[in-house]
Amino acid sequence: MVTYSALVGDRLVAVVTAIGCGGLSLTALALVGRWPSLLPWGFVGVGAGYAVVLSLGEGTVDARAPLLAAAFFIAAELSFWSIERRSWRSEGQVVLRRLALLCSAGLATAIVGGLLLLVASGRGVGLGYEAAGVAAAVLTLAVIAFLVRRSRVLRGDELA
Amino acid sequence: MTRSASPKLGAYAGLAALGLLAALVLRLPELVLFAAPFALVAAVAALQVRTPRIDVEVELDRERTLEGDLLDVSLRFEPSDGTERMDVLLELPPGLEVEEGMNPSTLRLSEGEERVLPLRLRSLRWGAFRVGRIHLRAHDPFGMFRHEAVIDRRQPLKVYPTQEAVRDLLRPSETQVFSGNHVARQKAEGIEFADIRQFVAGDRIRHVNWRATARRGELWVNEHHAERNADVVIFLDVFAEARRGGRSTLDPALRAAASLAARYLRQRDRVGFVSFGGTLNWLLPSTGARQLYRIVDAMLDTQITLSYAWRDLVVIPRRTLPPQALVLALTPLLDDRAATALLDLRARGFDLVVIEISPLELVARMRGEEREIAYRLWRLRRDAVRGRFERAGVPVAVWNDESSLAAAMEEVGAFRRRARTSRV
Repeated sequence: MVTYSALVGDRLVAVVTAIGCGGLSLTALALVGRWPSLLPWGFVGVGAGYAVVLSLGEGTVDARAPLLAAAFFIAAELSFWSIERRSWRSEGQVVLRRLALLCSAGLATAIVGGLLLLVASGRGVGLGYEAAGVAAAVLTLAVIAFLVRRSRVLRGDELA
Repeated sequence: MTRSASPKLGAYAGLAALGLLAALVLRLPELVLFAAPFALVAAVAALQVRTPRIDVEVELDRERTLEGDLLDVSLRFEPSDGTERMDVLLELPPGLEVEEGMNPSTLRLSEGEERVLPLRLRSLRWGAFRVGRIHLRAHDPFGMFRHEAVIDRRQPLKVYPTQEAVRDLLRPSETQVFSGNHVARQKAEGIEFADIRQFVAGDRIRHVNWRATARRGELWVNEHHAERNADVVIFLDVFAEARRGGRSTLDPALRAAASLAARYLRQRDRVGFVSFGGTLNWLLPSTGARQLYRIVDAMLDTQITLSYAWRDLVVIPRRTLPPQALVLALTPLLDDRAATALLDLRARGFDLVVIEISPLELVARMRGEEREIAYRLWRLRRDAVRGRFERAGVPVAVWNDESSLAAAMEEVGAFRRRARTSRV
């Protein structure tokens, strides 16, 4: 992402690279020292570099943003996973399920993000795409509502 | 189970908030895409979190085992609620280690599905343990919350000391009144020929010595030595021990005590046990297999407890040290109180034998002239204590890495054969 920011931007490249590299350094330091409180600041630095590039841009929506968002999320998950203090091995299915969940979350981020960005860009992309974007937003809200309802049921069981 | 939020929850919430704020301020919809998955994951985790309910049972394949033996342990999980990741740790006391299986380990528990986690342990050292304290830590799928609990399903486990090889046992000087395997000085019904005497009314015809009768012209009968048992008391000095790394003087002492107790009980002697030191422990002499288990169970509780109190033999119940008992003392001769108590036993007329568990191999040689002199003085002092025992007629054999228990017993036996006990 730092490299992408440096390559895509055409103004203040040095500043963008410096911010991104600062974030990367913090991330690396957090990974080596296993400091979970430092890790999000590293990601803030990396994201800040990208935000600077977008701010200095021409105002068009970056079409690669959903992929970058998915990669950013997966990198954050993998970073937190790597600093979990565990000197023993997990069961095979535990690792596989976790990886599958991670990949699914990244894929969902990319797909839903892409559809939402299409809607947000305001471009005339066709009724089909707009409908898909609306459907994605509605689906997201529905999932949240289902989970809220389920959590109330589960808390009711706990209290009982 | 206690619930706590992992640092990841705060980090994700913070990243989501920063991302959305930046998107609003800078009017960049792309940043919403970056913030959205963090916000969603944190929200879903917070909404989904619930305390998992799990029943855990611990099963040991046996309650008693020997040093060095393997033991199977099964942890049985019955989850009412599924858990994506459960860290499991079976707390093991020192003296037990995992031979096969993973401890700790991370499992996935499905709702309603019973899981069994097998472990194979090796018992490294004798002792009485309680095994079955389990630490659990459950994580949700994204690792935002942790639920931790300590479940106590401890069960007793006794690890008995392995036995040392003993060829010949020491023969007690005196016997008791009950039937046993020792040839007694007294004359009674028995197998070993003792003497002949003239026939008196009541003697059995089968005891008539016909050859002597033919020679003397009147009835003469054989007399025999009775077979009697003896009382043996195993005296363990637990005032102090020398320890270095995983080795100590107490371990071979206990193994020797267990071996000697088993051998003497096998030949129908009455065996008692005294653990004399900072804490006192004793068992009255008795016979049979049950007494062996009592003695070994009493040994398992033996520990070195530091104490500056002077111990006298009067603290030991009289019946624990029956008169004319053979007292086998196992001691590293590190504490004067033990040596004084043993000499007191000898003065009271007990048949005493001392097996010294040598601590020399466990003492680190320190460099420097003064320390060398101190070490040599200490060794001379030990030789002087040994000399006191020998002057009192007590055989002392040193048992170290270069010799076996059988060799030490043979050395003591040879001393007793050469020496004769005199009573004043």
